Amino acid sequence: MSLIAQDAPGKTILLMGNEAIARGALEAGVKVCAAYPGNPSSEIIGSLSSAAGIMDLHVEWSVNEKVAMEVVAAASFAGLRGLCSMKQNGLNVAADFLLNLNLTGTQGGLVVVVADDPGGISSTNEEDSRIFAKIGNLPLLEPATFQEAKDMTRWAFGLSEDLRLPVMVRSVTRVSHARGNVRLDALPRPATRARFDTSRPRLAFPPLPSHKALLQKIDRAKAMAETSPYNLYRGPEKPELLLITSGSGWMYSLEAVINLGVQDRVGLLKLGTTWPLPAALVLKHMKQVERIVFVEEVDPFLENNVKELFAQHCMDVGLKRFYGKASGTVPSAGEITPEIVTSALQKMLNVSYKPRPQDYAAKAHEAAAELVPARSLGFCAGCPHRATYWAVKRALALDGREGFVLGDIGCYSLGMGPSGFSQMKTLHAMGSGAGLAAGFGQFERFGLSQPVLAVCGDSTFYHAAMPALVNARYNGSNFVLLLLDNSATAMTGFQPHPGTGRTATGKEAPVLDLKGICESLGAKVKVADPFDVAGTTEAMLELLEDKEGVKVLILKRECALVRSKRQKKLFQVEVNKERCLGETCGCNRLCTRVFKCPGLYWDRATGKAGIDEAICTGCGVCAEICPASAIRKEVA
Amino acid sequence: MNRGLKGLESKVLDQGQCAACGACLSLCPYLRSWKGRAVKLHDCDLSEGRCFSFCPRTEVDLDALHRSVFGKGYEDIETGPVRRVVMARALAPEFRDKAQNGGVVSALMALALDEGRIQAAILTERDSELLPHGRIAKIREEVLTCAGSSYVTGYALEALNRGPWQGQERIGVVGLPCQVLALARMKASPLEKRTPVDRVDLVVGLFCTWALDYRAFAAFLKSRFGVKPIRKLDITPPPERLLRVTAGDEFHQIPLDEIRAFIRPSCQVCLDMTSEFSDLSVGTVEGAEGWNTVIVRTEKGDDLLRLAESKSVLETRAYPEDKWTHLKEASVLKKQRGLNALKDMPEKYVTLPQKMIHALMKEVAP
Repeated sequence: MSLIAQDAPGKTILLMGNEAIARGALEAGVKVCAAYPGNPSSEIIGSLSSAAGIMDLHVEWSVNEKVAMEVVAAASFAGLRGLCSMKQNGLNVAADFLLNLNLTGTQGGLVVVVADDPGGISSTNEEDSRIFAKIGNLPLLEPATFQEAKDMTRWAFGLSEDLRLPVMVRSVTRVSHARGNVRLDALPRPATRARFDTSRPRLAFPPLPSHKALLQKIDRAKAMAETSPYNLYRGPEKPELLLITSGSGWMYSLEAVINLGVQDRVGLLKLGTTWPLPAALVLKHMKQVERIVFVEEVDPFLENNVKELFAQHCMDVGLKRFYGKASGTVPSAGEITPEIVTSALQKMLNVSYKPRPQDYAAKAHEAAAELVPARSLGFCAGCPHRATYWAVKRALALDGREGFVLGDIGCYSLGMGPSGFSQMKTLHAMGSGAGLAAGFGQFERFGLSQPVLAVCGDSTFYHAAMPALVNARYNGSNFVLLLLDNSATAMTGFQPHPGTGRTATGKEAPVLDLKGICESLGAKVKVADPFDVAGTTEAMLELLEDKEGVKVLILKRECALVRSKRQKKLFQVEVNKERCLGETCGCNRLCTRVFKCPGLYWDRATGKAGIDEAICTGCGVCAEICPASAIRKEVA
Repeated sequence: MNRGLKGLESKVLDQGQCAACGACLSLCPYLRSWKGRAVKLHDCDLSEGRCFSFCPRTEVDLDALHRSVFGKGYEDIETGPVRRVVMARALAPEFRDKAQNGGVVSALMALALDEGRIQAAILTERDSELLPHGRIAKIREEVLTCAGSSYVTGYALEALNRGPWQGQERIGVVGLPCQVLALARMKASPLEKRTPVDRVDLVVGLFCTWALDYRAFAAFLKSRFGVKPIRKLDITPPPERLLRVTAGDEFHQIPLDEIRAFIRPSCQVCLDMTSEFSDLSVGTVEGAEGWNTVIVRTEKGDDLLRLAESKSVLETRAYPEDKWTHLKEASVLKKQRGLNALKDMPEKYVTLPQKMIHALMKEVAP
């Protein structure tokens, strides 16, 4: 039963922000949903896929964000309502299409949900996607609560159809991934028939008339923003300080104002429509105060836009002091917290406030230490990537020419840290390892004598590495691509992809064979099992010595977490304590000091290694690497 | 000072001083040989380890080591201990045809195996790419596959460490000077060994002036002869000093100067031409192709040579006095070159009594 597809208007249920967004889309009668997984946005499509059957939707995991947006634009052109979701990096991928789509306009409501990751907790970058709304002249909505996440998403579809423009909804981690009460509304089941109106072609060229039309649309959006129910003011008519906020900043600001007891001194202006700004509303409140502070996550987007507005109207509103990121009142990087807002307000209002003690974090950590086992950021027990990087480290050391691995984003990015033996040396966007390798692999003529490796996951390969491989082949680059095929988009929650034989809604799909694709691109392809450490190392060494063209080593082994959901341990693994050499010369704790699978532990008392039965997934790789054959594996 | 892998890395591997003897390999998962190089795979933080202790290029007190191996100090400074020296050659054509010179080493090892003096021999075999590696030979036919030389050192002692061993075998080892030095250090090491080095019962040393780095030399041969298989390599004795190469069905002679650049740096500080830490040592005889020099150093070595003579495995002749003088001069010259090279090194690996260094340096070079 799908949580978000309950036909129970008036009922209040607990929903994750992303589920609330998905519910809002259902309440708007969405028909087509597409995305590429990326945290913190992944659960939007995840929950919509569970409602696909009952609500008769098309829900898909697309190969990348640009294609996802194109699929959803097709729905819009056909008169259907469509939603595509992505993380901030995803919008960069989709931006090329989006910044043409704004010119051709839309038909059925089209909502683009972008979930930003302030602080880059599960991202390679910290980026504010809101700037794209300004670049593209697109209406931008920022829900601040879980109820708003649902309601504003639903409202966004109508707005899109009124303006014939895509509408952006910007969420952040603490809105998308937290849970709160949401009151449900009716679930419509529109019977729209898809049809493309050929008399209304969608052509971005010539851009000039389209651009002019777009500017007229955004002028209309300004007027709509003025009356939007999602902009609200709370506080005295003439406050000492005006706090302008949006999204996650609203709850933090509310908490800070209540905690400090300054409700009668601070005016809170919460904006839901942050582009275009409701100019009259903002100016009205601005006029009442001298000091204005901004609370928002990532960039000073509101701050700068309000300052722009002020510059235009300063003769009417009088001199102001602005506080925010530019003044250093609020940090310019990382997540905002209630603590940050509280201490900023406390200073500005000169209120005595006992902040959290300096050693609070250390004490909390200490208290939790007994309850939570110490874990470093690393690969799971039995993860094939650990075995892969073990082989990489060996192969590069043996090869001895200072070879290096160019990486990209996925679970295997942890290859940059201790659990991947620090083998991965670059990390940028999806598929960028292969793209960088396509470059490095052509620099022998400039004296580069180091072998070049790139690493990418199976899902990433379809997403963005394929063009890099085509480029490499075409331009005569020479490198080895390690294609880590763990049969899942593991990092974002095991979503299926074109190689898994399943769609987002669980239907059977053709398998797009990685080996066949690479071979058709003219690459020399080998397949190895990373759990066969010796065989994998040998295959790498052989490909490293091959100086001609693009080589692909497919390292095929299912994600340990995916496998463990379906089947038991591959092997029962045990340590023969008598054979274990422990810290002595000949071993010096290779398994627990260097290999460091979390399924292994070091028993200080006996000076021997042991297997943690609760954690071990039975991959058996530690038995392969034990120099004393003290670790034994038996088929479970 | 670290006397484990860290020390080995900083003082030997990183300085290009690895002699490629193999004593540190197959002891632990941290070191491995690959295409003629010893490679560190992971860091090991032990303060003391066998790799450092066994290495012929970490600090060694030669005088003390002599006492431990021969029961007396380092007195015979020219060529090490000598009981007798003869010219010899194998009588069976199977040895002489494949051998570098007189086939004495192969014949002696086959004899020791046949007679049950040893049950296994650690020898050096070359693969089709000329890459040498240690192997365990248990029968005469296996000895024969190892005959000949490629002038490249080949980690032979790794085979001793790796096994597999039943646990009872007495073992014979054929090694270059660096390898017999390492073997002596292995035996003398106070560390817990976990190797069968205490069952090594026979050490046959080879004469050596230098050895080549595999990767560089293999690349050179490939550039000269392409994919043609190298069937035989040998170096003519002075004054010609030519590398003779049989590549496919072609025969080529290359002046030695063309390959000197590939000599391992660790050979330049080596003080031993005649494999002094052995039971007997075997080399060429200047001006007598098809014959070997045999220096007998221990009673065990003497026994084996006598057995070979009595079983008509070897034919021996008295060693001409002038050739012996020449050999000693060559040996001293190598020591002088090594001591001179060591002067320029920030850290020296050998400890020799000062008076011995004086004595060596005073010897008049021919």
